[in-house]
Amino acid sequence: MSALARPPGGFREIARVKLANARVSGALDSSTARLLDGRLGAWDSLGDVEELRERAHVARMRVVDDLDGHVDRFRKAVEARGGVTFAAATAEDASAYIVDVCRRTGAKLAAKSKSMATEEIGLNEALEAAGVRAVETDLGEYILQLAGEHPVHIIAPAIEKTKEDVAELLSEVDGHAVPAELEALTRAARRQLRETFLAADVGITGANFGVSETGSIVLVTNEGNGRLVSSLPRVHIVLMGMERLVASLPDLSVMLRLLARSATGQRLTTYTTVITGPRRAGETDGPDELHVVILDNGRSKLAGGRYREMLACIRCGACLNVCPVYRRTGGAAYGPVYSGPMGAVLVPLLVGLDAAPDLPHASSLCGACTDACPVKIPLHELLLELRRDLVEGRVAPRRERLAFWLWSQAWSSAAFYRVSTRLARIGAPFAALVGPGRIWRSGRTLPKLGRRYRDRR
Amino acid sequence: MERVQLFATCLGDLALPDAVADAEALLDAGGFSVDFPRAQVCCGQPAFNSGHRAAARRVASTFTRAFSHDAPVICPSGSCATMVARYLPELVGCEPFDVWELSAFLDARGVPVPRHNEGRRIAYHDSCHMLRELRISDPPRRLLERSGAELVPLPRPDLCCGFGGTFSVRQPEISLAMADDKLAGAGDVDALVTADPGCLMHLRGRSEHTDVGVPLVHLATALARGVGG
Repeated sequence: MSALARPPGGFREIARVKLANARVSGALDSSTARLLDGRLGAWDSLGDVEELRERAHVARMRVVDDLDGHVDRFRKAVEARGGVTFAAATAEDASAYIVDVCRRTGAKLAAKSKSMATEEIGLNEALEAAGVRAVETDLGEYILQLAGEHPVHIIAPAIEKTKEDVAELLSEVDGHAVPAELEALTRAARRQLRETFLAADVGITGANFGVSETGSIVLVTNEGNGRLVSSLPRVHIVLMGMERLVASLPDLSVMLRLLARSATGQRLTTYTTVITGPRRAGETDGPDELHVVILDNGRSKLAGGRYREMLACIRCGACLNVCPVYRRTGGAAYGPVYSGPMGAVLVPLLVGLDAAPDLPHASSLCGACTDACPVKIPLHELLLELRRDLVEGRVAPRRERLAFWLWSQAWSSAAFYRVSTRLARIGAPFAALVGPGRIWRSGRTLPKLGRRYRDRR
Repeated sequence: MERVQLFATCLGDLALPDAVADAEALLDAGGFSVDFPRAQVCCGQPAFNSGHRAAARRVASTFTRAFSHDAPVICPSGSCATMVARYLPELVGCEPFDVWELSAFLDARGVPVPRHNEGRRIAYHDSCHMLRELRISDPPRRLLERSGAELVPLPRPDLCCGFGGTFSVRQPEISLAMADDKLAGAGDVDALVTADPGCLMHLRGRSEHTDVGVPLVHLATALARGVGG
């Protein structure tokens, strides 16, 4: 759980720093706008996108509403094809199992492809503590690893970095200056990473999807690193959130039609890898061992409850790209792993509202996220539910609860309303000096309260 | 004469009484008999959107006491219309009301609009609830065009202006940055028009505070008297 812990300072304080950084704002604004345009264009090309979104929602909820059954089927199918499965109840359990596999196989170097689940359990730190060097091979993740930072976007983890930033980091590894040009940067990163691919003892990946029926693991990447990491090293370890299953290959095809389109605007990613079991006799490629770690870490308790639809999330990032708040604050304010609207919903559900009380309010409830979600998760309504739980669980500050209680009493009838708003008019100059009034006034003029409309009629 | 019930909304009643009067004038001119239920207060949205369901229910129940189910309820606010249409019936346990955002009603009933905005360049700001929950985006634009205005498109019309109720004071820095983006996009129009009192107060407050000088006008006022008046 510790990897999901939010940095001290809270959403507002971190966001304030980001807002002041014009360079980050520029990179974030242009990148999210590009991804958003990509999605809109790709959705247009689908014909009836609404029908497909509905099918995707149904396909995902089929799994969510029978989570145990699907996990069970999936595990049996993986094992029938020679893979090993492990159900990890917590982040610690998952890390411990993976460390153990590395130890047993004498692994010193682990090549990783991009996985938010491994970020969620803090795997790199656990591996490092056990003497295993983990190298990120997704370009964005590699850049962040060099910079010692966490992802700020679930699809484009280094979205706030400019090519000048990247050149600086890669130059440090090479020991000479790499020009800040895309081709030169790609060449340098490829050369640096190739050594890892060839030398790694263990490959660690996430899973975009698992297929319950066949026990297949599905990886989508644009750089091909997922395929190298899952086929070159002698051991392949997959960390998959338990909810990332689809029932069948036809359901998978629905998801694949939407995932890349929603994430980057591509019809498909450059590489779509379907892995079913380790290398079999007579095959030339693939690992000797395949381990699939199925991560709960707070997910199963969401099944069957008011937040069950959040388990349908396919981590496409469309809600981040469309979010006016994320666009201005970037990912760090949400914490080190999940960000944007999906993060604002998911993080409090995983770590508890006490540990993330500001995230449900990190939204203007504009609803753009809900409209952008390819699997139709009502994100802004889930935020509203979380706000309700903040109040009813007494996590919301006492003075806020008292203020709304007083307000609701004062406005519980038209007679009380008339009296209280008359008093409020007298008190307005004072109200502007404290609390919300003062905050409003610090950047906006206050509306003039004249004669009420009802008094004119 | 068909009777309609006017829901001023709390912000309208307290902070934008002229816009409410303009809404009433438009309905009058359209041939409707406008009833103003005196017992009305507020739809409960401020508390509801902050998660305070009990407080929201207490205030929202004033709505069910004030309004009848026999005539349309017209409201010069997209977000209050959303609250009443989408959430209030379940919150207080009542039958749904026949509630309309003002421009959607005027447009649906084919109410003629005076040509007060001949030659004016106007940008229209979609409020989020009206756009995404009620799916009303064409009627206000159509009415503004019928009033003679030249509509100037805003860049990224999908982006929220940053009001968001209590969001405006819980996350003031982000809220203001969002307002600045919206105002910058309006450029050199004669007026930025919106159908929501919340967005209007926020954007007007920001525009005045920063001297960007974009006049903010409520849609009802823009239609009843023109943006110049």
